[in-house]
Amino acid sequence: MTGLGMPIARPVSPALVVGRRRIRVVAACFAIAFVSIAARLVDMTMQRPSEPRVAGGEPVPANAPDPRRADIVDRNGELLATNMRVPSIYADPAQIHDIDRAADELAAVLSGVAADELKRRLRAAKRFAWVKQESTAAEQAAVLRLGIPGVGFRSTEKRVYPRGRLAAHAVGFVDIDNQGLAGLEHAAQAVLVGGAPSGKAPLVTSLDLRVQQVVREELLRAHERFHTKGAVGIVLDRETGELLSLVSLPDFDPNQARRASADSRKNRATGQTYELGSVFKVLSTAMALDSGKVALRDGFDATEPLRIGRHVIRDDHAKKRTLSVPEIFMYSSNIGTAKMVFAAGGGEALRGFFERAGMLTKPVLELPELAKPQLPKRWVDITTATVAFGHGMAVTPLQFVDAVAALAGDGTRVPPTLLRRAPDEVPPRQRVIEARTAEDMRWLMWLTVEKGTGTQVRDTGYLVGGKTGTADKFNPNGRGYLRGAVIASFVAVFPLEAPRYVVLVMLDEPRGDAGSRGLRYGGWTAAPVVREIISRIGPVLGVPPSSALARAEFEDRLLTAQRGQPGRRKEAWVAAVVARD
Amino acid sequence: MASLPAFREPRQHLGEKLAALHWPIVALLLLVGAIGYLLLYSAAGGSHAPWAWRHGVRLGVGLGIMLAIAMVDPRVWYRLAYPAYATTLALLVAVELIGAFGKGAQRWLDLGVIQLQPSELMKLALLLALARYFHGLHLDQIKRPLFLVPPVALILVPVLLVLLQPDLGTAVMLAAGGGILLFMAGVRLWKFALAGAAVGLAAPVLWSRLHDYQRQRVFTFLDPESDPLGAGYHIIQSKIALGSGGLWGRGFLHGSQAQLSFLPEKQTDFAFTMLAEETGFAGAALVLVLLLALVLLGVVVAIRAASPFGRLVAIGVTANFALYVVINVAMVTGLIPVVGVPLPLISYGGTAMLTVLIGFGLLLGTDLHRDRTLGRFPGDP
Repeated sequence: MTGLGMPIARPVSPALVVGRRRIRVVAACFAIAFVSIAARLVDMTMQRPSEPRVAGGEPVPANAPDPRRADIVDRNGELLATNMRVPSIYADPAQIHDIDRAADELAAVLSGVAADELKRRLRAAKRFAWVKQESTAAEQAAVLRLGIPGVGFRSTEKRVYPRGRLAAHAVGFVDIDNQGLAGLEHAAQAVLVGGAPSGKAPLVTSLDLRVQQVVREELLRAHERFHTKGAVGIVLDRETGELLSLVSLPDFDPNQARRASADSRKNRATGQTYELGSVFKVLSTAMALDSGKVALRDGFDATEPLRIGRHVIRDDHAKKRTLSVPEIFMYSSNIGTAKMVFAAGGGEALRGFFERAGMLTKPVLELPELAKPQLPKRWVDITTATVAFGHGMAVTPLQFVDAVAALAGDGTRVPPTLLRRAPDEVPPRQRVIEARTAEDMRWLMWLTVEKGTGTQVRDTGYLVGGKTGTADKFNPNGRGYLRGAVIASFVAVFPLEAPRYVVLVMLDEPRGDAGSRGLRYGGWTAAPVVREIISRIGPVLGVPPSSALARAEFEDRLLTAQRGQPGRRKEAWVAAVVARD
Repeated sequence: MASLPAFREPRQHLGEKLAALHWPIVALLLLVGAIGYLLLYSAAGGSHAPWAWRHGVRLGVGLGIMLAIAMVDPRVWYRLAYPAYATTLALLVAVELIGAFGKGAQRWLDLGVIQLQPSELMKLALLLALARYFHGLHLDQIKRPLFLVPPVALILVPVLLVLLQPDLGTAVMLAAGGGILLFMAGVRLWKFALAGAAVGLAAPVLWSRLHDYQRQRVFTFLDPESDPLGAGYHIIQSKIALGSGGLWGRGFLHGSQAQLSFLPEKQTDFAFTMLAEETGFAGAALVLVLLLALVLLGVVVAIRAASPFGRLVAIGVTANFALYVVINVAMVTGLIPVVGVPLPLISYGGTAMLTVLIGFGLLLGTDLHRDRTLGRFPGDP
């Protein structure tokens, strides 16, 4: 032993021999690993996109124009993406006598071309230099008039999006080589470039540009008015599963996607998950009612805040008494919803329900930008309670709309799509809840709009059911939730007498203003947007205004519910038996 | 050191030590680090902020620490091996406890001034502890199964702690690093086969006992397309970028994928993709050659080391470094799932660079003092 306590090895021990042999073995392994990743690198960097072929013909030479991509159109045939042949201007410097003069003249007629820079490029090149790529016909004419020898044109395919920002996130965009980078352009790349180069059938999306236009306009107004960080608007046809509108703000111009910021390219409707807050009570209430263990007439004590371990659950607008299921829903009571979910089987039941509604897995849609839901690690009591009112579980807005579409109709759902479906192409419907429960849910959502937190949506000419949500935002840079930053949302179904369309508006961090009485609540920020959207798209979609008869049916049920509760307590009408029971 | 006369060797002066340093390794590290600097400069669109200058500062400080460590007699590290392991283990437990209270994956220990990632430090501490353990054993002892219990425990405890964080990537790196060291120490090959078979048999049982959310995590690891942040999308962009690089690349500051921010994490895990896009296969291959040269020089140092401790430390550091490189490049080229392993010295990130440079400090120290434990000096046994 030495002073430092390190035993000294014998000069040539067998261990050393074995050790050195093994070092060589490991070194050889690493050398092989390096060589194989280098080989992979050759594979990746040297690969050229396989030469496009004309059907049954010779390979197209690499310098030929790109094969035409198919157009993308909305459900009515309106163009969303198409190709334009545009001239690109080049020069052969060897043929130009006076490069300075030619460059000055060219720069004078071409926008975005600087004379100095052009001179430098022409001098540097021998026989070929681009003067301007993707020019216009007018500029081509102007250059022809100059009559400079040695200047020529090549026509190139350019992908153009005539509607610009309108459906930017759904349609996506292509790179300089016309390869789809995002949205349908990426997801449907194979379909878009496949087939014969001429007479290619356009890709028909489910979007309805008239609806998309309205949704974007109204959403943009709110986005600017409330200074939100982002906003999402979705309109889904629950009968066919077609998405009529998909808007994510801020958006970008796909014609100039390279200049767009990463934030504006983010598809918040499908590629981002949010804790949506109280709108989730639509789901938890449906689960509770559908379990058969909770009935509409049941009451739950919301006098005291609910204690679970160290946590305390409170209500925003505490009524401090026993609430019936309809009251819990329309006043959006956290305590009541949590107790209701526990009565219906707690975490396991809620989890099972989300599974049936397809909310535990990544959504399926024809887009590359899809985010998986973020689920609680354990369905312990506190998590179950918070998930019941929309915290502790984050999903994409798309997935939420999909689930509501099932609950608000006849209890069945069809997988959503961004492509138009003919009536016979609609896949079989899957049952999520009983039709009877769905009917109750419609009535509850109607109550919320008529008497509860969603009264801002009353005057649309249609019978509308809905639910508000105001979720505190999780602080990404630390623990807990951000003070004052919320996700305000409103989900609506209309027309309630024959439920067909689901509308979701979600605002990320709205700042209240005078018009919303300084409030950020979903009922004051998101709900008015939904009202405007519904009253504008209803006529476009050919939905007749709801009849007085249909309205009376909903009113009747309320009156029947109120009967038998005379005078005792003004507000207590719903605490009693509901019509059918 | 002066307690026993046995080790009163002639003291080398600092100048002598510096002259005897393995300078090719230092030069290579500096070169690769400088390439990282240029790349980060380009990643920020031709700007020193926010990444490049910090990378440069870290590189400078890290190289300084490395040289200081290289000057220290390895016997000091030998003596510190177990305490260092114990301390790092305590840090890992602390992180686990804080994480449990904070309700989320916690890998960082915030010391106010600096943020520590104990799982990263553990790679070095484990290396030192294992090297020290095997230094004292004869080959015939290593062959006996009972002697394998302590080192396996040394590996398994931190691996399990890191798994709990949960950080599957780092846990696998730790286990692989430990396994390589066992192999280097001379543990028989059939024992590795046995361990592999045991894991294979236990896997289905373990799998059936996992919670759904835990299984989900494994799925996410195996199938990044289902990652909430869209790791699959990252790989698509990475492949496009690599493909557009070609042989000579699109030019410094001209990689469209990276410059237009289509490529995510271009300054950290996907730095290599950006390198390949801007400098082509030629540039990427050059960097790979430089990194491979570092690995091979490390192997030479390990072979030359006279003491088992020095040999094991040197090869352990080298193996860890090589693992980083291979896993990162395999990841960005889509050979293996995205596991979040940086490219050493090039990716932006403090702890990883520090770990690598401290490791090379130990390696250089081993090289500098490679003859010392042979007992050449007067009075040595």
